[in-house]
Amino acid sequence: MDKHTLGFKGSKLVVAVIVLLTFIHSVSILYIAIGLAETISSLFAGQALQEQVDSIAKFLLAFFIRQLTALLMQKIAYRYAETAGRELRKQLVSKLFQFGPRLVQSEGTGNVVTLVLDGIAQFRTYVELIIPRMIGTAITPIIVLGYVCWLDPVAAIILAVTMPILIVFMILLGLATKTHMGRQWKSYRLLSNHFVDSLRGLETLKVLGQSKAHSDTIERVSDSYRSATIKTLRMAFLSSFALDFFTTLSVAMVAVNLGLRLIEGDTVLYPALLILILAPEYFLPIRMVGADYHATLKGKEAGKAIRAVIEKGEAEAVKLASSPSAHAAEQAKWTWTKDSTLTLKEVGLKHEAEGPASLDDIHLTLRGMKKVGVIGASGAGKSTLIDILGGFLAPSSGDVLLNGESIKRLTEEGWRQQLTYIPQQPYLYNSSLADNVRFYTPDASEEDVKQAIAAAGLDQVVARLPQGMDEVIGNGGRSLSGGQEQRVALARAFLSKRPIMLLDEPTAHLDIETEYELKETMLPLLENKLVLMATHRLHWMMEMDWVIVLEHGRIAETGTHEELLERKGLYYEMMRMQMEGVDEG
Amino acid sequence: MKREDWIRPYFSTHTWRFALIVFLGLLTALCASALMFTSGYLISKSSLRPENILMVYVPVVLVRTFGISRSVVHYVERLVGHDTILRILSHMRVRLYRLLEPQALFIRSRFRTGDILGMLADDIEYLQNIFMRTIFPSIVALAAYVVVIAALGWFDPAFALLMAFYIALLIFVLPALSLYVNKARNRQLKQKRNQLYQKLTDAVLGMGDWVISGRQATFVNDYEREEAEVARIERSLSNWSKWRTFAAQGVVGAVVISMIYWAAQMFAAQAIDATLIAAFVLVVFPMMEAFLPVSDAIDKLPQYTDSLDRMAKVDQGEGEGESRNKSKHEGESEGARKNSITSGEQQASESAERAADGRAGKSRGNYDSCGNSDNHENHENHENRDNHDKCDKRSHSDSSSLITEKLVQAARQSAHIRIEHASYRYEQGSEMAVEELSLDIPQGKKIAVIGRSGAGKSTLLKLIQGALAPTSGAVTINGTPADAYAGADRIATVVSVLNQSPHLFDTTVANNIRLGRYDASEEELRQAARQARLDGLIESLPEGYLTPMHEAGQRFSGGERQRVALARILLQQTPVVLLDEPTVGLDPRTERELLATMFDAMADKSLIWITHHLVGVEQMDEVIFMEEGRIIMRGTHEQLMKQEARYRRLYQLDRPLVMKAVGLS
Repeated sequence: MDKHTLGFKGSKLVVAVIVLLTFIHSVSILYIAIGLAETISSLFAGQALQEQVDSIAKFLLAFFIRQLTALLMQKIAYRYAETAGRELRKQLVSKLFQFGPRLVQSEGTGNVVTLVLDGIAQFRTYVELIIPRMIGTAITPIIVLGYVCWLDPVAAIILAVTMPILIVFMILLGLATKTHMGRQWKSYRLLSNHFVDSLRGLETLKVLGQSKAHSDTIERVSDSYRSATIKTLRMAFLSSFALDFFTTLSVAMVAVNLGLRLIEGDTVLYPALLILILAPEYFLPIRMVGADYHATLKGKEAGKAIRAVIEKGEAEAVKLASSPSAHAAEQAKWTWTKDSTLTLKEVGLKHEAEGPASLDDIHLTLRGMKKVGVIGASGAGKSTLIDILGGFLAPSSGDVLLNGESIKRLTEEGWRQQLTYIPQQPYLYNSSLADNVRFYTPDASEEDVKQAIAAAGLDQVVARLPQGMDEVIGNGGRSLSGGQEQRVALARAFLSKRPIMLLDEPTAHLDIETEYELKETMLPLLENKLVLMATHRLHWMMEMDWVIVLEHGRIAETGTHEELLERKGLYYEMMRMQMEGVDEG
Repeated sequence: MKREDWIRPYFSTHTWRFALIVFLGLLTALCASALMFTSGYLISKSSLRPENILMVYVPVVLVRTFGISRSVVHYVERLVGHDTILRILSHMRVRLYRLLEPQALFIRSRFRTGDILGMLADDIEYLQNIFMRTIFPSIVALAAYVVVIAALGWFDPAFALLMAFYIALLIFVLPALSLYVNKARNRQLKQKRNQLYQKLTDAVLGMGDWVISGRQATFVNDYEREEAEVARIERSLSNWSKWRTFAAQGVVGAVVISMIYWAAQMFAAQAIDATLIAAFVLVVFPMMEAFLPVSDAIDKLPQYTDSLDRMAKVDQGEGEGESRNKSKHEGESEGARKNSITSGEQQASESAERAADGRAGKSRGNYDSCGNSDNHENHENHENRDNHDKCDKRSHSDSSSLITEKLVQAARQSAHIRIEHASYRYEQGSEMAVEELSLDIPQGKKIAVIGRSGAGKSTLLKLIQGALAPTSGAVTINGTPADAYAGADRIATVVSVLNQSPHLFDTTVANNIRLGRYDASEEELRQAARQARLDGLIESLPEGYLTPMHEAGQRFSGGERQRVALARILLQQTPVVLLDEPTVGLDPRTERELLATMFDAMADKSLIWITHHLVGVEQMDEVIFMEEGRIIMRGTHEQLMKQEARYRRLYQLDRPLVMKAVGLS
């Protein structure tokens, strides 16, 4: 329990109420024991059952209160955990969007989704368990011990001494397990990954003709994985064994000790029974902490991971400092027209402070509506430049000027509203084709959508779909070919009427006929816009008004296609190489 | 295959281990109860102040023994339990693998939703919980139930009956009620959670678009609304389980009161000693500990259905999300093409298995109806018998028996592939994926195949690999059907494949290359690496050839990873190589260098190369264009340039300047 668990709305009240309930809970435990011990010792002394109604009623009432307080505590903790989970998720999701696709790229889609769904659920479980457990461990044993001490100091000493021994032992075992795991880790990782690695590589194994024989390998590795795991578990289970061992042994010792002192006449049956009943209750809270250890540990780790992302997002947010909603006047400032200019001055980008620069010292001025090609080898910085212009990333150095006004970065809502973006594989949402086209402009009319679909050359495809443009596409719906996906993205861009288009390698993965046809459709749609296209398909460059050639994160040369050929520089080299084809040998 | 088939068989294969686990579990519960029982007895006895301490010697020893043995037995129980589960898991892995292995070449197209293989691997890990958290505790509780009732029945049958009723409430009535009441909620929750997952994955993948659209807030609100919906269901489930626990505790309270009443009566009737009153009353609490967790254990059952269903589907040959699309067939789009593969692979493995059937002379069906026969496990036998008739009725083409060692050795030296009027359709009544295709590929011929997605290129490769047998016509290698080689599992000695993303395994670089041929010498391995122009790179690694791939992989670029795979198939030393778009995603320079290396290393081999554009086609002996399953253009590069306007147009796209002949010498 720390500031991260308690940092949510209403935490103080929750803790206060749970402390109070735990107190009542603990007292009810005492009364359960008292009721039972009274009843039993009276019966033992030969009294009639009918005379025990009071004691039995006492037991029943206390038993009821105990269960009820437990129920209430769980409910309160659950509610609070729910709030905590929701708050944390909200922070996380909004940070994800603020941070944009780059975070997803570095963390992996699957990991991000798992973090939001499972991570939050685990964190919630952690919060739900940890608060009542911690408070219970802090209060109940002390109350029970205090009462036992008042009844019989010797028994109290036995119980009290067990606790520190227990804790020391568990710490030692925890450390031993850790070092053991550390030693084993490398081979452990290999073994545990082996199966999934084999499954992922199944196709490769099959074409290599090794797949049948490999099932024996799986069996063998699985087996050594088992023995390695059991070896580790032998250590790992020792800590819960120690917990079990010392608590039950301690109860047994209390019982034997009481028995011996009863014989000597030092004590009588009633307190002895009472203590015997209370002894397991003394250890119960800590045993529950032990039982929930793994569930809470997972949740704690998940919470840490989530906060790391949020903090990363926050650090970035300071850099971005974007205004969520741009006013009309503000909006006008961002609007790109044929007279607008955008200048990058000494812009650079380093993903890590110490790492190499992805972009360095970029000087660039874009003016009005024209088509700009960005080329260079992989790793030359094409995508990074598109990311900066698209406002996905803020440059780590240099300045950006829009119409002569210094704005430092383009990660503003107002700027993004000017853009459409077509990556190599545009993502199609699991929704109707029409909704996908309407994505930037949800209010667009049916007529406009149809027009956009026609402009992107999708009308024939749509005509063949059973549901027409209401056909569900995307993951889980009808799948489209790569070329068709690009056309949906084009229709989307066309419908939005946004003045700037960013394209990142839109055709490299397509077969050449599809590429050819797509290009035919695409070219008219690129007119009267500011177009930035990063690609290594050189044929596009003939259609561009201006070409930027990047090399190692810097601008090597710029100019029109003809000018660059004249220069016989890097561009010329790239063209020449491509035209020559593949040399044999 | 039904869900239970991943669970039930293990009861008969691991009967003794299961029995041991249950016995130890029972013993743990008994020790805990016995500790309180003897403690109660000891204290009561002692309070009578016996003359001699030896009078309580036995209970004193017993109390200590039970105290110690409880934790020891529990420790052993857990270890035995985990060991057994891990054994089962290990068996499940092999079983899953053997089920997937025949479908290997079709998995990618079948299961389109994400990383299905990773998910299946996780599912197996997850299934250990069903044993540890649900099955074992439930059986232990059941056994404890029998023991407790029998023990009480020895004292007083009528009272035992009452207790039997109480405990039945805990281990039968409450869990069943819980399952029944929550059935709808669990289903709803599962559905909503899937929706959430889908929605979030969607949004994360399309995050760039959301960011640019400026509509993030819409999404976040929408998403939170759905989350709230899920939270509401979860809360009601959680509330239910809290009140159920409360009710169960009520039963415990009733048991305690009944026990007090009974013990008092028995004592009054002189049927038991006074010293046993405390013993009987105190034993109730630890005893109930064995029964209380059953409801929670049973409540978890719905959680496993996803995993079990997914694994059951592997057998049925029905992919994730596949059934949804099935009705939407339409020959044109790639999606429909992919869908039809679902059934295509059934035929594929049927033919492969049929071939195997003939050779092995026993029933080895494919996975949908006879899949279990792949498992060499006794418990599957009844399944096999059920399916036996079905399997036997299949026509057993004895083609794989045509494959002799001599034939394979000959094909290893020189393979002449002939495709004669071959057609293939994935499903009865669907369009032909490949139609009337004829190709003659003598040893050493090099062919480039170009066409859109869905034109039938991949089907062509699968026909040559023998993974599919033509619906009509013939595909032969040196006169013997290609699928016979595949059926005899010898195709890999004749044909090797390099595709877009070959898997590099989590082992050393050398082992990855050696996968091509296990008995290759060190020198051959280095030779292959040299041919793939990889030697310099590997030698620069800290541990050279012995560098683990997952470390080296981070340093390897896309082109270098392809080179590792290239070295691997070079080591395979097959006369025929199929290249399935190996350069997609590489930049032009890397692509050209890789192609140059490949052509160089494969000078004597036959090459069937699917490519998405025209870089390098000049070097091929023949270029074929496929459309809707047919070859629509074919010839050498020069011929096509001369004769086909369409080809010229495409070539111009790839090499604009050659055509324009602008300023380049």
